[in-house]
Amino acid sequence: MQRNRELVNFLPVVILTVIGFASVYAARSSQVDASSLSYGLFFVGLFLLVHLFLRLAAPDADPFLLPLAALMSAVGIMMIYRINPDLAAAQTTWLMAGLGLLIAVIVLLRDYRKLDDYIYLCGVLGVLLLVVAIIAGQEINGARLWLKIGPLSFQPGEFSKVLITVFLAGYLNSKQELLSTTTWHLFGVPMPALKHLGPLITMWGMSFALLLLMNDLGTSLLFFGIFLAMTYVATGRIAYPVIGGILFTGGAYLAYHIKGTVHTRVDIWINPWSDAMGQGYQLVQSLFAIGDGGLFGTGLGKGYLLFQNGETIIPALHTDFIFSAIAEELGLAGATALIILFLVFCYRVFKIAVDSDDGFSKLLAAGLGAGFALQTFVILGGVMKLIPLTGITLPFVSYGGSSIVANFGALALLLLISNRTNREMRS
Amino acid sequence: MNTPIRRLFFIAVILFASLIAMLGYRQVIQAQDLADNPQNTRKVFAQMRIERGLILGSDKAELAKNHKEGDLYYRDYPTADLVPHLVGYSDPTYGQVGLEHSQNSYLTGTADEVELVNLMDTLTGKQKRGADVKLTINPKVQATALSELQKIGKRGAVVVVEVKTGAVTAMASTPTYDPNQLAANWQPLNADPDSPLLNRATLGLYTPGSIFKMITASAALESGGFTPQTRFVDEKGTVDIGGFTIHNYRVEPFGEHNLSEAFVQSINTTFAQVGDKVGQDKLIEYMQKFGFYEKPPFDLPADEVAASGRYENGELLSPRDSMDRAQVASMAFGQEQLLVTPLQMALVADAIANGGRMMVPYSVDSVIDYNGTVIKQAQPEVWKTPLQPETAGELKDMMIKVVNEGTGSKAKTSKVQIAAKTGTAEVTGRGPNAWFVGFAPADNPRYAIAVVVEDSDAGGGIAGPVMRETLLSALGL
Repeated sequence: MQRNRELVNFLPVVILTVIGFASVYAARSSQVDASSLSYGLFFVGLFLLVHLFLRLAAPDADPFLLPLAALMSAVGIMMIYRINPDLAAAQTTWLMAGLGLLIAVIVLLRDYRKLDDYIYLCGVLGVLLLVVAIIAGQEINGARLWLKIGPLSFQPGEFSKVLITVFLAGYLNSKQELLSTTTWHLFGVPMPALKHLGPLITMWGMSFALLLLMNDLGTSLLFFGIFLAMTYVATGRIAYPVIGGILFTGGAYLAYHIKGTVHTRVDIWINPWSDAMGQGYQLVQSLFAIGDGGLFGTGLGKGYLLFQNGETIIPALHTDFIFSAIAEELGLAGATALIILFLVFCYRVFKIAVDSDDGFSKLLAAGLGAGFALQTFVILGGVMKLIPLTGITLPFVSYGGSSIVANFGALALLLLISNRTNREMRS
Repeated sequence: MNTPIRRLFFIAVILFASLIAMLGYRQVIQAQDLADNPQNTRKVFAQMRIERGLILGSDKAELAKNHKEGDLYYRDYPTADLVPHLVGYSDPTYGQVGLEHSQNSYLTGTADEVELVNLMDTLTGKQKRGADVKLTINPKVQATALSELQKIGKRGAVVVVEVKTGAVTAMASTPTYDPNQLAANWQPLNADPDSPLLNRATLGLYTPGSIFKMITASAALESGGFTPQTRFVDEKGTVDIGGFTIHNYRVEPFGEHNLSEAFVQSINTTFAQVGDKVGQDKLIEYMQKFGFYEKPPFDLPADEVAASGRYENGELLSPRDSMDRAQVASMAFGQEQLLVTPLQMALVADAIANGGRMMVPYSVDSVIDYNGTVIKQAQPEVWKTPLQPETAGELKDMMIKVVNEGTGSKAKTSKVQIAAKTGTAEVTGRGPNAWFVGFAPADNPRYAIAVVVEDSDAGGGIAGPVMRETLLSALGL
């Protein structure tokens, strides 16, 4: 039943993807031929294979998540292909790896709740990945997010995000009652015992350390935001996010004054125009691209994204700034449609959290949903100068192996949770 | 746990809605501003496939032309650092400024008037090429103005306007720069404390000092209370107004004199009393009649022309901003937060020379498409009429005396009668700004001029020869 709905949901994806690839191809080589259509069909074929796999392995899983992820990835690969066909081929490989991970997770973690027994392993692994990034990471744009192993670049933060969410889901689930018991009041706000605030302080300290060591406000905000959202879900106490928010603001304020990179980022956000050829170049060019799109965009392949020599005008266009390219070529109409896709995806994830019947599943789904929403907001808000810009990928859309693979891993967990819930509801 | 989860989703909805709202703002409301931003090179780059029209001097000398690399056209400026501030540049990296920016639609042939012709030519298979823009700038006069300024070696500006038409014959600003060398010099040009990229002729805001007495005298003569013969006595070289002591240059007492002599000798104490009697309302009224408090209509992009008037912290004050008596008296001889541009002061001279009528300044004489058809021809227009012809005549007589027997003797020449007003505005921390504003020939004025030199000698006479030589060059003498 769920899988038939999923198949129906794939219908618009198939149409949009095939048309999309054909038009990008046409714009590049001014002709549509069999190979341009086959690109789209190959992509659709991959997802239909996964669909068939789900019919066997997780027949009751949510029928919207996979088509939505397919559509977001399709928009991403189309845009990457339009920017640089070689990168699109690489991204397709990463997509296959991501789908492979999805299948592996669904097969190996059929009873994903066993993860609850290994949460400390997940937590340690998650932190370890970040530590490795800090120690051995390459500094790109002032932030230490990348790890280079041979020819491969790897962003440990993307995997760490999922692992730490798993850890927090288990940890908060077990400490739920302690954390929600009121023992004293602060300015009339009921507060849990001080000793149970320990993890909150620890997490704040960790996020702040991340910020100082990685030089990256975005990653730090993302981790702390996930933590606050999950603590709030676990305890139902608004005091946690409020206190956490104040702590984070305080930390960020301090960082603004002691860290040059954070200071620069905020100054660029306030006025990128004063140094439009230097520090503000990327953001200013992003705004120009977005503005150029207008209501309906320049059309796929017709925007002004590349210099004559094929280099992108906006540095990191295919990764952090892919949305600027989308906004230019698809306009307000297309870009808004994409944002709504993200919102619908969030809705399905939070719905999975609400529908599931155990604390661990709820916390895990809500944590992944909060992370997904926050990451999307941070990068989109950054490239359109709603908030200070910070380098982070747009889930499923940006170029990048780590991002794609980690997100499909998270998607697998969500499919498993919904599969279990729906199966129990059916029986 | 479900309530917090639903609230989280609600927060996500708010966050995403704010993204869509911001995106709508950027792509619809702000889109035009972003497209017009001079730092936005997207349009410039896209238009590099079009052969841009030439920019020509009044003698048809090429001030801007093209060379082709691959299928893109790049801009060359054969006269290098002669007129970069007015002509500007068009560069895929550094954007467009000056006339290259404001006349872009003609130069690229995308203006409506040009498009029609091009459509016909496209049908007949001719190659697309933008229209040429011919300027009123006379390269010889421009070269004189620039070299006279460069001889002094200080920051400064010269504006020369044809009296009867408002056509700008020369517009120089020092230090200047070579627009052919932007890529090599971009950092130093921007870091240079002398800001070579700044067009001081239209954006340079200077304290006018005594040249403002032209406006105070206009208000005084037309208010009915004063004539050039009105008597004054100055015994101490100072005067107290509104609890503030105003003194003459070197506290020199001038004894018994009339208004005309006060103008010729530039007596501050007398003008302070005149301003006090005329009052703030009349002074401001005359400033506005002369075009203060608005940007002069000119061919340059709006952000490359500044308005003159009273400023505070870099912002133009409202003309209704109230002043006390001492402030009004100080303003009457050109102090008190007054800041003016050389272009504005050239226009003041134009009005006096032109019987009280101030012309609209323009530098684009005509736009000619590549078939030779003139698609736009400048028509001289009166911008303001600040003065009665009689008042203009009285001021002219006083300005002749300034050169013949007063503070403007450095501009005097036997070849032609020049009329002028000088000004030396004190600047804290360095030498004063020296002004010479006037026109020639006095009996039948053809060219009005404003010269400013920063950080000059004490008397300010340094600007006199710049005015004299530039006017002689314009008059072909």
